[in-house]
Order: sequence, then structure tokens, then C-alpha cells
Amino acid sequence: MIKEELIIKLKAIVKPYIQEEEAFKNLTEETDFISDLKINSANLVDVVLDVEDEFNIEIDNDSMEKMLSVKAAIEIIEQKLSA
Amino acid sequence: MIGNDIVDLKLAKNQSNWQRKGFLEKQFTEEEQKTILNSNDPFSQVWLFWSMKEAAYKCYTQRYKKRFFAPKKFICKMISKTLGYISIDREVYFSTTIITENYIHTIASERKEVSFDFSFITFDHKTDQTTFLNNSILAFFSGADTVQKDKFGIPFLYNQQRKIPVSLSTSHHGNFGGFVILKNQWT
Repeated sequence: MIKEELIIKLKAIVKPYIQEEEAFKNLTEETDFISDLKINSANLVDVVLDVEDEFNIEIDNDSMEKMLSVKAAIEIIEQKLSA
Repeated sequence: MIGNDIVDLKLAKNQSNWQRKGFLEKQFTEEEQKTILNSNDPFSQVWLFWSMKEAAYKCYTQRYKKRFFAPKKFICKMISKTLGYISIDREVYFSTTIITENYIHTIASERKEVSFDFSFITFDHKTDQTTFLNNSILAFFSGADTVQKDKFGIPFLYNQQRKIPVSLSTSHHGNFGGFVILKNQWT
């Protein structure tokens, strides 16, 4: 899967949890889930679980620990998909 | 260091589904999961542990200056219904929680006996919560003119662009917000 495709899928996943429309509209690889999209930390786990479901992968604790931005999420998804 | 976390229970009910597959397993230790599932009120127990973990995380990041999402590493133990402690690696934080029908609020700190200033806010629906919270902090702490978060998400007080060395923690969720400032740090 190409990166642009991953970003589109990820964007759809985070949509229900974002609290900052503007940052969401302009979402790039550099976008941070918490400081930019203002996703509530209690919803980070939902993002992780939704990513697992969507891509049929398992995100281990070490990977989850880093999943705070679009970039980190993409890296983790790519790595798990190629494993 | 001091940290605090507020959970608006009504909002938590709408925003999260703690019974969702994987929700507990990813964030709570096996022992915590047992406590939650054996509780008379599992929903409140989930958010009690969660607020303890968050409050402890806010203490931890002030010292270690890093951001991460690893709630399971913050291991909660209850001493009573509202007092507890949270350990991560070699650090231990003591916590005290207020549980009401509408919210759960936890304050955690490195020492058992700490003196702090704490203010609880109920938001008007129309206000920008962050601005309102920051103005409340500035009204309280007269020596500061700005509140700003650093790149780790840690809030600091400034006076004429100079950082004031006090431990501050802010929290807001839904209709509720609050802040704590560790006392006797600056005198």
C-alpha cells in the first residue's frame, strides 16, 4: 500500500476522535494526534484498536507507546504490514 | 512534581466504550483488569484507574521530558477507595481521588504529604476551555503573565518570558477543568 493511501485510511480512522477541525483538514505526516488534532488521550487507545482492525495487524505495547503522530502511526503500520 | 487529571463521566460514557474488545487489555495490567471486572461499578473503576495513570504520567513527563502512550506501564494500587499509588520503573506517585456522580478527579505527586493549591472549574458551554483555564491560573498566580505548554505538553508559567520554576498541572475534560500548583517551591 502506498503512503498516500495509508494516510487517507488513517484520516478516516481518527476522524471521530478529533477536536480540531482545521488541523484535521490540513492533516499531513507531521500532524500530532494530541497537540494538533486535540484527540483526548482516553481515545488514543481507540485509534490504536481501529488501526488494528482496519489493517488486520497487531500493535504491540512498544509500538503503541510511540503512536502519537501520523508519521509514527504510518511507520508502525508499514512495518507491521511488511512483517 | 505534581499532576492532575479530570474525567467528565458523562462525556466518558459517550466518548469511550470500555467494554470494547482490547480496551482493557491494552491499557490495564491483569491485576487492574481483575479489580475492574470484580467491581460493583466497573465503569467508575476504569476511569478511576485511568485518571490515576494520567495524573502520574503528568508527574513523570515533567521529570523525564518525554511523550509516550503506555498506560499499562503505570501500575495502580489502591490503599483505600480514594487513595492509591502508581508505579512506573523506579518511580512511585501517591494519588488522591475525588469521585462524584459527575466526575473523577485525581491528584498525584512524588511525596505522600504535599502542599498544593488546587482549583476546580465547571465550564460554561460557550467558553474556550483552554483560554478560560489559563486565565483562571493567571488570576490565581499573580506572579505570572502567561501559561504555555512546551513540546512535551507540560504547562509552564512565565513572567516576562522567563520561566517560573514551579510544578503546574492542568486538566480539562467535558464540562470540568482544574489546575494544581505545587506549593513551597518558589518561596
